[in-house]
Amino acid sequence: MVSEIREPLRRDLGGGSKRGSSVLQTITRALTSSAGRACLELLLVLLLGVIFNADGAFFKEGTHRDTLRQASVYGILACGMTLVIITGGIDLSVGSVLAVSSVSFALLTMHMDWPWWLAIITCLLVGAVFGSASGALISNAKLQPFIATLALMTFARGFAKYITGGQKISTYVTQGDKVIIKELPPIFKVIDSRIFGGNLAIVSVIFLVCFIVAWIFLARHKWGRELFSVGGNEEAARLSGVPVRMAKFLAYTFSGIMCAVAGICQAAQETQGDPETGAGYELTAIAMVVIGGTSLAGGRGSMGLTLLGILTIGYLQKILSINAVPEAGRLMITGIIIVLAVLTQKRRTK
Amino acid sequence: MKSILKFALCAVLLCSLAAMPTFAAGKTYVIGMSQCNLGEPWRVQMNADIKNEADKHPEIKMVFKDAQNDVLQQRAQVEEYVSAKIDLLIISPKEAQPLAEPVSKAMAAGIPVIVLDRDIIGQNYTEFIGADNVKIGRAVGKWLVKNYGGKGAKVVEIMGLQTSTPGQDRHSGFLDAIKGSDLNVIFRADAKWLEPDARKEMESALARYDKIDIVYGHNDPSAHGAYLAAQAVGRETGMVFVGIDSLPQEGVVYVKQGILTATFQYPTGGGEAIKQALKIFAGAKVPKRIVLGSRMFTKDNVDAGGEAIP
Repeated sequence: MVSEIREPLRRDLGGGSKRGSSVLQTITRALTSSAGRACLELLLVLLLGVIFNADGAFFKEGTHRDTLRQASVYGILACGMTLVIITGGIDLSVGSVLAVSSVSFALLTMHMDWPWWLAIITCLLVGAVFGSASGALISNAKLQPFIATLALMTFARGFAKYITGGQKISTYVTQGDKVIIKELPPIFKVIDSRIFGGNLAIVSVIFLVCFIVAWIFLARHKWGRELFSVGGNEEAARLSGVPVRMAKFLAYTFSGIMCAVAGICQAAQETQGDPETGAGYELTAIAMVVIGGTSLAGGRGSMGLTLLGILTIGYLQKILSINAVPEAGRLMITGIIIVLAVLTQKRRTK
Repeated sequence: MKSILKFALCAVLLCSLAAMPTFAAGKTYVIGMSQCNLGEPWRVQMNADIKNEADKHPEIKMVFKDAQNDVLQQRAQVEEYVSAKIDLLIISPKEAQPLAEPVSKAMAAGIPVIVLDRDIIGQNYTEFIGADNVKIGRAVGKWLVKNYGGKGAKVVEIMGLQTSTPGQDRHSGFLDAIKGSDLNVIFRADAKWLEPDARKEMESALARYDKIDIVYGHNDPSAHGAYLAAQAVGRETGMVFVGIDSLPQEGVVYVKQGILTATFQYPTGGGEAIKQALKIFAGAKVPKRIVLGSRMFTKDNVDAGGEAIP
């Protein structure tokens, strides 16, 4: 599952029989690989949870079920973000495009009474359009990904506020002078529900589906290999005949579609379309990808690493929450953990 | 020559006669409303309250501007109103300090200023109208002690943004009222007024504590989010949920639906602002500060329009 280049051990762990040293070598190689370090980070955060278990709350199954549900929207964003970062780029617009999708979904289903499947398809198209705008600016107009997606981030946020008049879209609809309260569209309840006896949230299932799709593209599809070579050395890739522009363009379009899916899930969980939702989500998504071990420089990484990063940040947020840590403390502790995680990953590169 | 002069004189006389009725009928007053953020449903209600009251008086023309939570945008909008020489400014500022100077400029330009809900640094405005969050928090505490005291009830407090005055006031007023009673706050978290955050915090509380009796949300969306979290694990029956704001399409509806046990109104003051504006136009003296009264809604009194809080 981990499709990345392993560095050979720099030191020989001599001594002992040949069989014994190869076992030791394997273990050390596993621990010092990216996946090994990411697992270590996750285990350390889980250890924090065991120690600061808030009167045993950490061991209850409800806590773990909730952690997965709460991390799902960020996780969906991280799926698209991983592909983009592997190409050596970045997508700062994910939070704002999530908001556009969220308000579009609410407007279409609540105000315009569209059928749910048509609303979902339209929102996915909207996400794809915004993503492909980023992609076009980056692959064709050769803009820096940071600048292009920063511009999209601002534009999308403004667009979300424009189509909603700056207000939250909910079932309380103004018709002329009256305000009527509509029924919540059933699709909202479906997306926000749980299956398997209340143990698995539908949004978690949606996240897992997105994860599997992203993994298939990255690990088993030609496009995935193209993304790695573009991120590793763009010139060499171009000279080898890799369709660099199309590969990058599709990565950002895919990210846009992931934002749309996340936006629909967010609207269902909030039972409203909020033009200000998703603010700052891009930083959480980037943190999840980076502390998993995918390099911001590009060319290296995997969905498995991102999953570890998602769980690490998700559990960290949960542990801070059940221990009722005040807001200021949460922000500082999260910052410190991110720095520590990235430092442990950094030792791997020359 | 003479006939042209006569004609010109008649024309001038006719024009001034035509202008007279307008003077006699009374002038139109232009009131500008500077809102800090229509992204908050409570502020949408504030504008609606202002509009409803202003519609009853045809001599008032309302102009609304929304700063979309941007301080510099709101400063610019106030300056635009001053240049447009409106007759009165109603402002609900995003923050106390940065808006003090534009408001002073308006006062200096002879435009009376009514400040709604959030205060401005200094006293350079005509009138302040707002509700007292400490008093409302205290009313919540008193009501809970009166109805649920004596049984050692365990309370979860889902707080509003603790770096904002309303959040701090609703917290301190509540604590003040339950002091000495046997109500015990076992878990509190800052949900920043947001429903999804409130839901997450309530989930943590539910995971940690087997027995929770009362949930106090600093606003109705927080209390609603907590309800959804409790409902997801089947623990919502028997739990008391209390919120603040009482928007007619939000908190009051939740009480009617049985989701909230009670909601305490945080009045917008929009209607009162227009009434005071008319007094100012008539030249009457108005008080510097008006503290609005509040109401509370429970299932028993919600259809009757709630009951006033002393």
